[in-house]
Amino acid sequence: MFNEIYELVTGPLAWIGWGIFLLGSVYKLASLWSLAKKKDTSSIYYTKAKFGLRSIAQWSLPFGTLGWRETPSVTVVTFVFHICLILVPIFLSAHVILWEEWFGVSIPALPNHVADVMTLLVIAGGTFFAWRRFSVPEVAFVTSGHDWFVLGVVVAPFLTGFLAYHQIFNYEVMIVLHVITGIAWLALIPFTRLSHMLVSWYSRAYIGSEFQGVRHCKDW
Amino acid sequence: MKKPVFDRKIEDIGLETGTSRLTPEKIQETIQNVLASETGAKLKVYHDTCVRCGLCSKACHYYVSHDGDPTYSPVGKVVQTMAVMIDKKGKVDADFIYRAAQIAYTECNLCRRCIHYCPLGIDTGYIMSMVRRICHKLGVTPQYIQDTAHSHSATMNQMWVKDDEWIDSLLWQEEEARDEFPDMRIPLDKEGADIMYSVIAPEPKFRTHLIYQAGAIMHEAGADWTMPTLHGWDNSDMAMFSGDFEIMGRLKRDHFERAQKLKVNRIVMGECGHAFRSVYDQGNRWLGWADYPVEVVHSVEYFADLLRTGKIKMAQKVKGPITIQDPCNIIRGRGLMEDLRYVAHAIADEVIEMTPSLEHNYCCAAGGGVINCGPPFKNVRVNGNKAKADQLRRVKEQGVDLCLCPCHNCHGGLEDIIHSNELGIDLKFIGDIIYANMVKTKAVEE
Amino acid sequence: MKKIIPALLAMVLVLVFMLPAFGQEDIVELKDPAFTAPKRPAAVFKHDEHNELAQIDDCTPCHHEDVDEEGQFIEGDPDYKCADCHTVEKGNGTPLQLAYHKMCIDCHTEKKAGPVACGQCHVK
Repeated sequence: MFNEIYELVTGPLAWIGWGIFLLGSVYKLASLWSLAKKKDTSSIYYTKAKFGLRSIAQWSLPFGTLGWRETPSVTVVTFVFHICLILVPIFLSAHVILWEEWFGVSIPALPNHVADVMTLLVIAGGTFFAWRRFSVPEVAFVTSGHDWFVLGVVVAPFLTGFLAYHQIFNYEVMIVLHVITGIAWLALIPFTRLSHMLVSWYSRAYIGSEFQGVRHCKDW
Repeated sequence: MKKPVFDRKIEDIGLETGTSRLTPEKIQETIQNVLASETGAKLKVYHDTCVRCGLCSKACHYYVSHDGDPTYSPVGKVVQTMAVMIDKKGKVDADFIYRAAQIAYTECNLCRRCIHYCPLGIDTGYIMSMVRRICHKLGVTPQYIQDTAHSHSATMNQMWVKDDEWIDSLLWQEEEARDEFPDMRIPLDKEGADIMYSVIAPEPKFRTHLIYQAGAIMHEAGADWTMPTLHGWDNSDMAMFSGDFEIMGRLKRDHFERAQKLKVNRIVMGECGHAFRSVYDQGNRWLGWADYPVEVVHSVEYFADLLRTGKIKMAQKVKGPITIQDPCNIIRGRGLMEDLRYVAHAIADEVIEMTPSLEHNYCCAAGGGVINCGPPFKNVRVNGNKAKADQLRRVKEQGVDLCLCPCHNCHGGLEDIIHSNELGIDLKFIGDIIYANMVKTKAVEE
Repeated sequence: MKKIIPALLAMVLVLVFMLPAFGQEDIVELKDPAFTAPKRPAAVFKHDEHNELAQIDDCTPCHHEDVDEEGQFIEGDPDYKCADCHTVEKGNGTPLQLAYHKMCIDCHTEKKAGPVACGQCHVK
């Protein structure tokens, strides 16, 4: 029974998940681009690579902008959270083995204890964000069900992955949950607020160009 | 957490009559039309990707001044207005529109300070101006600002100034000035002049001495300048803020075409912020120009140039420290902070900066059309800017008695803030100080 | 006599070689000393129990040396160590870890029986 379920989630379901993620992302970007060409031509016109990259570089710097300086706790957590969130799924040793076994791609792996700490940091970061959604008035006021759902989707694969790795609770159940939540995480990127991963590079570059290019003023 | 309720409805005859005429069908149709035809990927991306982190809150003077009331944060204003309109596909009621209009017109100055706070680069000012656009199309606008838009539409100036009154004001100021500068002229409609000087309509209406002062400075600097006698002389643009983009476009076209008809090299505009925004940012785009078709030089740049090149020399500097108000539309909007500093240091002994300053300075809470919404909303902007009062109080404690304030809206806003907080700080335009303290080689001996 | 000596020798040899085979009864995990710094607990593997359950009589495919022209494993000597051919570091052939993983998981996947996910073998 387990073998069938495992094969289903790591086989067809995973392909579907990756397919939705990749095709959905292409669709999202393409449809936004064609809409922008129709309705936001001035925005496209003013967007310049030089200013855009400058803006992205500046905002990639912790405490490099006024916004990052004003709420230091959020800045630290945001950076740590996102760095771990991206590195762990790619470079976790268990995943590196799968990249090799399934796709013949071999990449270096994070030491297990490092990946373990990074996973805990993602969970801790998610907990911090959840705390903000509950207790910080300006965040609570604007938080809707969607935000909770997205936060849950993002943290779930890390939580289940952590429990599976340490074989806490039933391993078989946990590993299947881990695969399912991981796939959901991928597949939902193009269709939720997680799409900021895809498009915010451009909105950042655009506003950076508006400020530096048109308004002669830094946007950080 | 219990969601705060909106308990600050302000009675305004424009908003009331406007909403009384609404039907659910009209509301939905209008919202859907604006969303479909006038917005695109930009608004969609902002709506879809804002992760509701709340980082923008601290950017907003309204939020800061209301002790962290989340309903005043930039994203808080979005979730009370545009986000609902989009999510409900326009199915909102008249009360909602009233609230949305009050928020968008009077609780956001479109100052764009929040840009410095959003990692994702979301332009809340743009979202709020699209809310205003919808309210304008629904006919729900505060009465006073709508009146200025009507004036723009009927007279091509903001203050119902009639053609003869305009010319009369110029001739009057010329006559006044000639007592001091016997050879001074305000050259009218001089074709091929280097500079067309344009002002906002409140100058001839109730700050006429500013025209006198500008004339005196131009005269002293030996500028080849002119002022038009016909419409197009007013560079202001309240329609841009009321959401009446059609009128905005007409006004800008008129202003630029006046300069083109006079065949001038450039337009120099008086110390106004929003008028500048409308030539380099919004009005020009509506008309399809990437930039302005005739070069536009703001007073701050022009004065800096006159002082740098020695065309104007200061006979004396202001004694004691002054501080600087950074108007959004010329600083965050056009990067004139260095020129403004140059001027400030050239005309005063000492400059004490506000904290924060430059492009991070707080808005005056009067700009973006808020002061133009009139008396019903005066307390909104005065109570909504304790942040500015605190900034001013801090420099006052360091001995500042004078604030350099090169923008009409900032003047109006800061004046009320200073008065209501009893701060005892004088506000001056750059022109006030240069005129008063420059070397007057062409004036009569006293 | 001349026939007995080789026969005895053969018996002795068989006995000698059977000792490790008897020893295999004790195999409960695949703790390959070639892995000097293992990142996971050794995989649980009860040799005889596994073969009984899986009804395996042949030593191939697990114990193999090379493949024939048709790509089939050639029966190998169980006395050889996997690491004798499969190096830990990436070399010409299949690396040791990958060899173990593929040998177990591929078969389990095909037979729809036996552990396939990491923690099922590498039990903490």
